[in-house]
Amino acid sequence: MAQLSVQHIDKIYDNKVQAVFDFNLDVKDGELIVLVGPSGCGKSTTLRMIAGLEDISAGHLFLDGKEITQTPAKDRDMAMVFQNYALYGHMTIYENMAFSLMLRKENPNVIHKKVLAAAEILGLTSQLNKKPSQLSGGQRQRVAMGRSIVRNPKVFLFDEPLSNLDAKLRGATRREILLLHKRLKATMLYVTHDQTEALTLADRIVCMSMGYVQQIGTPLELYDAPANRFVASFIGLPPMNFFDVTVREGELEGRGFRLPLSESEKGILKPYAGKEIELGVRPEDVSAGGDIPMKVFSNENLGMNTLLHGNIKDGDKLSAKLRGWFDYKVGDNVNVIFNRKHFFDKETGEAIGRGKKA
Amino acid sequence: MNEEKTIQLDRMRFTKNSTAANFALLAILFDVLYFISIYESNVGSWYYNILMGASILYNLVFMLAAFLCSEGIKNYKVSYSYVMLLLGIIQIIRIFIYPMRAKAATVTIMEQPVIVMGAGQFLRCVVYLVLSVACLIIGAVIGYSRSRALQAHLATLDIHPA
Repeated sequence: MAQLSVQHIDKIYDNKVQAVFDFNLDVKDGELIVLVGPSGCGKSTTLRMIAGLEDISAGHLFLDGKEITQTPAKDRDMAMVFQNYALYGHMTIYENMAFSLMLRKENPNVIHKKVLAAAEILGLTSQLNKKPSQLSGGQRQRVAMGRSIVRNPKVFLFDEPLSNLDAKLRGATRREILLLHKRLKATMLYVTHDQTEALTLADRIVCMSMGYVQQIGTPLELYDAPANRFVASFIGLPPMNFFDVTVREGELEGRGFRLPLSESEKGILKPYAGKEIELGVRPEDVSAGGDIPMKVFSNENLGMNTLLHGNIKDGDKLSAKLRGWFDYKVGDNVNVIFNRKHFFDKETGEAIGRGKKA
Repeated sequence: MNEEKTIQLDRMRFTKNSTAANFALLAILFDVLYFISIYESNVGSWYYNILMGASILYNLVFMLAAFLCSEGIKNYKVSYSYVMLLLGIIQIIRIFIYPMRAKAATVTIMEQPVIVMGAGQFLRCVVYLVLSVACLIIGAVIGYSRSRALQAHLATLDIHPA
């Protein structure tokens, strides 16, 4: 397998629109990296530049120490799995999987062995004589993956492979990709806008917005210690609550609530004394009890949890994910407590005291 | 049986018998060339008119049957090998029905004796039919042998073709 190094890559289109700014990433051998971000953030463009399907405007790309910035896509030894599968409708599954090797004029017996091995891994052995139209979306996506596996590439690239699948199938196929990664121990780059996919699949996540890398880290790092307000709002479901608060002597003052600060929080926020910052609280870090008044306007029972939406008295909206089954009515008043807080600079959006438990 | 041979047999589970199928299509092509060649005949009597009309009708049947054989044999259906063989035998018989009877025969057209089928035309017709026969027989033999080999291989795997 392979190590991939992306250094200072930019993408500027002919109309001078810049889609990617100074992208840097070192992918270790056998690592699964997920590029995540909203639509138009440049993640697919980055993947396509790595694949060789888009020109790299500036920067360098190395595979196993060898520069491949200008190498044509066919010579990069990378396999890409597309969102729309890109299967040949008139060919059988066997022929689809064997096609790239046939073009390389490999020995038919060798091709046969590789196709059968890939089909076995993906559970497609009984489908090999069928046409793509006879398969479900999940099976088609597995065929697309099988077509990559038979090539035995150094790097696998996935461009939103699960977007065309329904929610249930998406979960099942996601687990299959994870098992496949463990089995093949392959270097993989995976693009998605779905943060659940990113959190469950990735060894490391690259979170992007507006063409810039916002944060690179393990799923836990991105969830637990977001680098900035964007990452904090993007990672986590339901999204984090944000409040404008003022740092006072020993407490935070928000609209409709006051929060006492611990000693460590006081230390973190010392440079912000008297200033306005943003307080971030994940819904799952809110629990019943405490002295923050919340007026309920929606109660969603999720089985194990109850998702409450409401307003802090005279203040901002608040979502709370409470453990257990609650049946609050619209207009009920609930007192809640914030168990964990994140602080963000109001002007830059950067996290304050990142990584320090507050 | 060595491993290479086994893999070669196993590949047939997922690949079509294109060689045999292509021979059947080639047989159709030669039949069409024969079909074009007999049109050059100087038909001046009911007898040859009927022979040619029958030949035209049979050509249609032959093309349909040969095409179906091509599709069947492509999927290793052994019964289509027999049909192809039968079509080949009929093509041999056809040499004696029209070309042999029309060769050097004369009819009267506008009170002039005219040769129905000249030597060159006869040779072309016979060559096309013989080539068509050869393609059908080769296709049938290949189809038969591969179908049988695949059946035997599937029997060892204890699975049935999809």
